[in-house]
Amino acid sequence: MKMKKFINAPENITKELLEGFAAANRDLVTLKPGNMVVNNKLASANRVTIVTQGGAGHEPALSGFVGEGMLDVSVVGDIFAAPGPQACVDAIKLADKGKGVLYIVLNHAGDMLTGNLTMKQVAKEGLHVVKVVTQEDVANALRENSDDRRGLVGCVPTYKIAGAAAAEGKSLEEVAAVAQRFADNMATLAVAVRGATHPSTGSMLADLGEDEMEVGMGQHGEGGGGRQTMKSADETAEIMLNALLTDLSVKSGEKLMLILNGTGATTLMELFIVYRRCEQLLKEKNIEITANFVGELLTVQEQAGFQMFMARMDDELIRYWNAPCNTPYLKRGL
Amino acid sequence: MLLTKDSISSMFRSVALLWQNNTARLSEIDSLFGDGDHGVTVGKMAALTLSRLEEWRDASVKEFIENLGSGFMEISGGSAGPLYGTLTEGLAEPLSEGSEIDAATLKAMFAGSRDALFEITKARVGDKTMMDVLIPAVEAARDAPDDVLSVLRAAASAAARGLGDTENMAAKFGRARSYGEKTLGTPDAGAMSTALLFEGLLRGVEAPDARG
Repeated sequence: MKMKKFINAPENITKELLEGFAAANRDLVTLKPGNMVVNNKLASANRVTIVTQGGAGHEPALSGFVGEGMLDVSVVGDIFAAPGPQACVDAIKLADKGKGVLYIVLNHAGDMLTGNLTMKQVAKEGLHVVKVVTQEDVANALRENSDDRRGLVGCVPTYKIAGAAAAEGKSLEEVAAVAQRFADNMATLAVAVRGATHPSTGSMLADLGEDEMEVGMGQHGEGGGGRQTMKSADETAEIMLNALLTDLSVKSGEKLMLILNGTGATTLMELFIVYRRCEQLLKEKNIEITANFVGELLTVQEQAGFQMFMARMDDELIRYWNAPCNTPYLKRGL
Repeated sequence: MLLTKDSISSMFRSVALLWQNNTARLSEIDSLFGDGDHGVTVGKMAALTLSRLEEWRDASVKEFIENLGSGFMEISGGSAGPLYGTLTEGLAEPLSEGSEIDAATLKAMFAGSRDALFEITKARVGDKTMMDVLIPAVEAARDAPDDVLSVLRAAASAAARGLGDTENMAAKFGRARSYGEKTLGTPDAGAMSTALLFEGLLRGVEAPDARG
């Protein structure tokens, strides 16, 4: 099937999408050379600052969360591809306000490579940087091998938690410790019912049959999970929720963050139906949802499906989650 | 025999030409279990190499190789740029400003490229990546007699064997990892571009006029 997307020349997608994104949010962010999306409030920041990196094609992630209370710079690569290390080193230098920089990297081969090279370079230049990796896809590795887990939507709440801790004036070590504690207690499982096309090449990212769904899709439809016949919202909610509760060993009486992140072509209607069942099931188990989000944070083009994200919460993390922020795609009252 | 600036130039030229002639094949293999752009990236590296060779005037061999490495590092399109950038910068690591290279220095250069990659990736032999070619090539070079041609020949044939071995491996790294066992029977695209690198380095000395 021919790809039906409103694009121009495929090689210009990243450039054009970033120009449009920056223009649409010029009160909050500025696009700088090297595909850097920069928080307009960075200039006056006197605190730990936060930098992230990642491929394009997942909008609103990652740059949609640049702004007050979350990210200071997002370095954008090509579609689904990590940026190079030089741009990340430049971004860290730009972000550094003398209090150090938290550098958040999602666990994908290319991003990790750039992350390692960037850390090598910033160490050589004597900059104060701590790297935190988000890796929470329960489908492709056991918790004890979490270095093999991919980073999915969990980066977004991690930005929020870290951004709020930085805004409170915490030191780099403290901000990194909070972000790491949150990241160590999160888990995501994805489901897809229809794949997406790669916007540059037009190739299908996953090929699912008429009556199939796949639990455990990666960020780009890499597969790796269980293909099964299509299930109802309630059944799907239960399968996924139980997998996450088991992975995190959640016990009765605990507090959780629950996010349902649509990956591009699943409607809010469906997400709410799934969310309803999740809340019922958790109530039965005496587990409280103290933080939530239902909608699109990190998409995979027109992939139909969603990522279910869960994190163990405590009072400090809840405070950070509820703290003010003002970014293009996540806002809380200031 | 010592490798002069001219021989280094000829070696990188034949690497670039070999890469250029194999971009379609590399993309085809990559498209089976990756995102199909490895040939495109390798093509960009080849073009950059040729243009840098064109502009090479007074820089030392060390500077030339270092600059080429940092050029690769910034090529967009996934991991290949940073990986080859690291490999190439590693080659320059043991060099001093004098620009003639003997067998011992060449062995140290190869070891330098491997060690630079060891710092940034956990991939080792058996994981179905470029390391399946690089590691045996560097080891074969180390064990070869102390003359430049023997070192290059040993590296190139170990590289070719390493590439062949990747056909019998299930991917454990990168995007192909998710396909695991399904990748059996297909060589790794990154391993192939690395094997072409060692083949090109040899050809540049053995048959400096050959065009890819």
